[in-house]
Amino acid sequence: MHELSVAMEVCRMAEERLGPDGSGRLRLVGLQVGDDAGLEPENLSFCLDALLSQPPFGEARASVERCAGNVLRLDYLEVDDGNPDN
Amino acid sequence: MAIRTIDVRERVMARNDELAADVRRRLAEAGVPSFNLVSSPGAGKTSLLERTLDALGRELDIAIVTGDVQTQNDAERLARRTQKLVQAVVTGGACHLDARQVQESLAAIDLDATQLLFIENVGNLVCPASWDLGETAKIVIMSVTEGEDKPLKYPKMFREARYAVLNKVDLLPYVPFDVERAISMALEVNPDLRVFQTSALTGRGMSEWLDFLRAQARQPVVAR
Ligand SMILES: Nc1nc2c(ncn2[C@@H]2O[C@H](COP(=O)(O)OP(=O)(O)O)[C@@H](O)[C@H]2O)c(=O)[nH]1
Ligand SMILES: [Mg+2]
Repeated sequence: MHELSVAMEVCRMAEERLGPDGSGRLRLVGLQVGDDAGLEPENLSFCLDALLSQPPFGEARASVERCAGNVLRLDYLEVDDGNPDN
Repeated sequence: MAIRTIDVRERVMARNDELAADVRRRLAEAGVPSFNLVSSPGAGKTSLLERTLDALGRELDIAIVTGDVQTQNDAERLARRTQKLVQAVVTGGACHLDARQVQESLAAIDLDATQLLFIENVGNLVCPASWDLGETAKIVIMSVTEGEDKPLKYPKMFREARYAVLNKVDLLPYVPFDVERAISMALEVNPDLRVFQTSALTGRGMSEWLDFLRAQARQPVVAR
């Protein structure tokens, strides 16, 4: 039920780290969700995908990895840095 | 495309827990024990607080923060029972209080003139279990009209709580509810749980509850 608040907090953490410019280039948000975290991983992914398609984000998605224990962790962010070689 | 991976490895609750630690530290410095009341909607959190204010309001300085999804009804009910300000937090749809809301509420409370703080959380046995508010302890309230198996259905909440109140015991003659079974299920989930039995309507069982609160208000609060 509180998956939406958790998703909003994850987005706040991502935005804090990336800034408005970086947030637009975010592509993937990697999370670890434990079996005892009190969260429904599919619901969390759903909420995150909805928020991550809104500004300041562009076309990011969530990747939720399940694990054991009471874990709820923002693991990594994948950002598209464009095409620096051209 | 050049995809770069940034390692974060940060707990999602880290920010809330930082704020909760600040709340806990401030309450400990002021010597104020604080209880986060959680239950399903209608178990009797507000009623228990009303009775508690009636009984202890002149003896102890009690501050209250109430959280509601949409109204300030509970804060208004409680404000009729105390001279002190009742802090209302409207969560605007959120199913739980968070530490930031409690920290902001503390700004309006004179902690030096407070001996006991209650936080009435949003009625819900799931979500509030995940948010530390900086309280001394969570108190989970269940009522005899809810069935005995709430502790098994919501184990996280019963594990997080240090105390449980079985409320509405005045209705026991009218509902099939086995008190022993309910308590044993609660202890199965959390053997350290201390259980009170009350009726916020008739006052039955209130004296043990009130004595517990008096003792808490006298005890020095230790920050965890
Ligand atoms: N019979 C009886 N009714 C109660 C008791 N405590 C609360 N109620 C009733 O239960 C309903 C919900 O109570 P309330 O305090 O608003 O619950 P909350 O949602 O947990 O704050 C109200 O109609 C109360 O009058 C009790 O001990 N016995
Ligand atoms: Mg209430």
